[in-house]
Amino acid sequence: MSITNLLNNWSFYRNKRPYRGQYDLNKEYSEYKWAMALDLDICTGCNACTTACYAENNLPVVGKKRFHHGQVMHWIRIERYWDEKMVDFPEQGASFLPMMCQQCEAAPCETVCPVGATSHTNDGLNSQNYHRCIGSRYCSANCPYKVRYFNFWNYPSTAWPAPLPDQLNPDVTVRTKGIMEKCTFCVQRLNEAKSRARTEYRLVRDGEVVPACVQACPTSAITFGNIVDPNSKVAKMWKNQQVDLYKDLQEKDNTVRGYRILEDLRPFPSVMYMERIRDTEA
Amino acid sequence: MIHRLLAVLSFVFLCVGTASAEPLKWGGPIGSQTSDGYNALGPVVKQPIEFPHYRHARDMGISCLYCHTGARRGYVSVIPRIDKCIGCHQNIESVRNKPRIKKLFEYWEKKEPIPWKKVNDLPDYVRFNHERHVQRFYFRQNRPIREVCGYCHGDVANMTVDRRVKSLSMGWCISCHQKDHRENDVSMKTSHGPYECWQCHK
Repeated sequence: MSITNLLNNWSFYRNKRPYRGQYDLNKEYSEYKWAMALDLDICTGCNACTTACYAENNLPVVGKKRFHHGQVMHWIRIERYWDEKMVDFPEQGASFLPMMCQQCEAAPCETVCPVGATSHTNDGLNSQNYHRCIGSRYCSANCPYKVRYFNFWNYPSTAWPAPLPDQLNPDVTVRTKGIMEKCTFCVQRLNEAKSRARTEYRLVRDGEVVPACVQACPTSAITFGNIVDPNSKVAKMWKNQQVDLYKDLQEKDNTVRGYRILEDLRPFPSVMYMERIRDTEA
Repeated sequence: MIHRLLAVLSFVFLCVGTASAEPLKWGGPIGSQTSDGYNALGPVVKQPIEFPHYRHARDMGISCLYCHTGARRGYVSVIPRIDKCIGCHQNIESVRNKPRIKKLFEYWEKKEPIPWKKVNDLPDYVRFNHERHVQRFYFRQNRPIREVCGYCHGDVANMTVDRRVKSLSMGWCISCHQKDHRENDVSMKTSHGPYECWQCHK
């Protein structure tokens, strides 16, 4: 993008995301907006999603020591919370919250990247280009969810000894030292499904493509789909839970459980969580 | 200072190296890219069998998609398996004693795949989708297949062994994706190819 281009089309580049009509079935190149709905009441915290993500996206296992240094590379992590009221620790049990990149519409990470390695795609994903990244780690510092992971070590040479490179996914780059990475909503699967659909003159059907975490979830706590399509399961869930992609803090009925994390920071995330309800009185 | 010296020296060696290679008929030096991205001639790749593309595609008029079957339905265009060659050639007695065909049947009788070498090789972090290009330009717009493939592969139908003739660099891809193309022959509506990072980079 040249300076002339930037100045001439200032209003185009200076737009505010998200705006209504950004994703529209009739408009070209934006007939997809990938979104998730995650039911915390169903999630058992089994970590299958994390394991599936490690397998799908060539994530290195860093070991205990580096884990304690905070250098772990799980794109989706299960956060544990011990704050359920009324009962004390042993009986209490944890409540779980799988946390992955929220693919924010107004992503805080995108604005701070000095080299433009992270940007927004037309289908509403927050893309990370590994080959442009210089490892400044600004994006990670600015991410309110802390879901960006930095390669502190040269994992390609250490994490997969001799026969293990054979199990790496060829559709995903093996990242090297000094670059940032994050959940992609399994963009390699999405691209393939979109291409297949386009060949057949149609849109991607609901449930045709899911990321690895959704596929692996044994309790189907995660729903994934195209929120532009009003008939998709995820769009219906968002609507039923009165969560609107284009709004930040929303007034809701008491009966719904849906919310997006840190909505008040206005990043407009694409992942809706459904609150966990426990009958602690019984 | 030492870096600059090294850079100058390596540049000199590169120039000498390319000059002593086989004479360049057309295009710039190997691996180079002009401002419009065209005319970047790739290295000569020595294949196990000197496959005559001109015989098949030009003289016989066989469609590229007949052998490169993956191009219309997948990311990679596919170099055909040996049984594809044999399927035709066991019935073509007239060329059965030609040296290349003999070599082909040697591989066939040894039950070995032919170790073809890659000519149009993209970096591992790039995925190029043949299907999208062939579907759009060949199946929807009915352009001739040799033209459609030729956008990236050049005039393979006049080559013996394939050789890369376009630079296949990112700037070269983008130079086409940024242009407005008419969507079909009927409407005047134009669109351009996608150029988000994640379309090609993985």
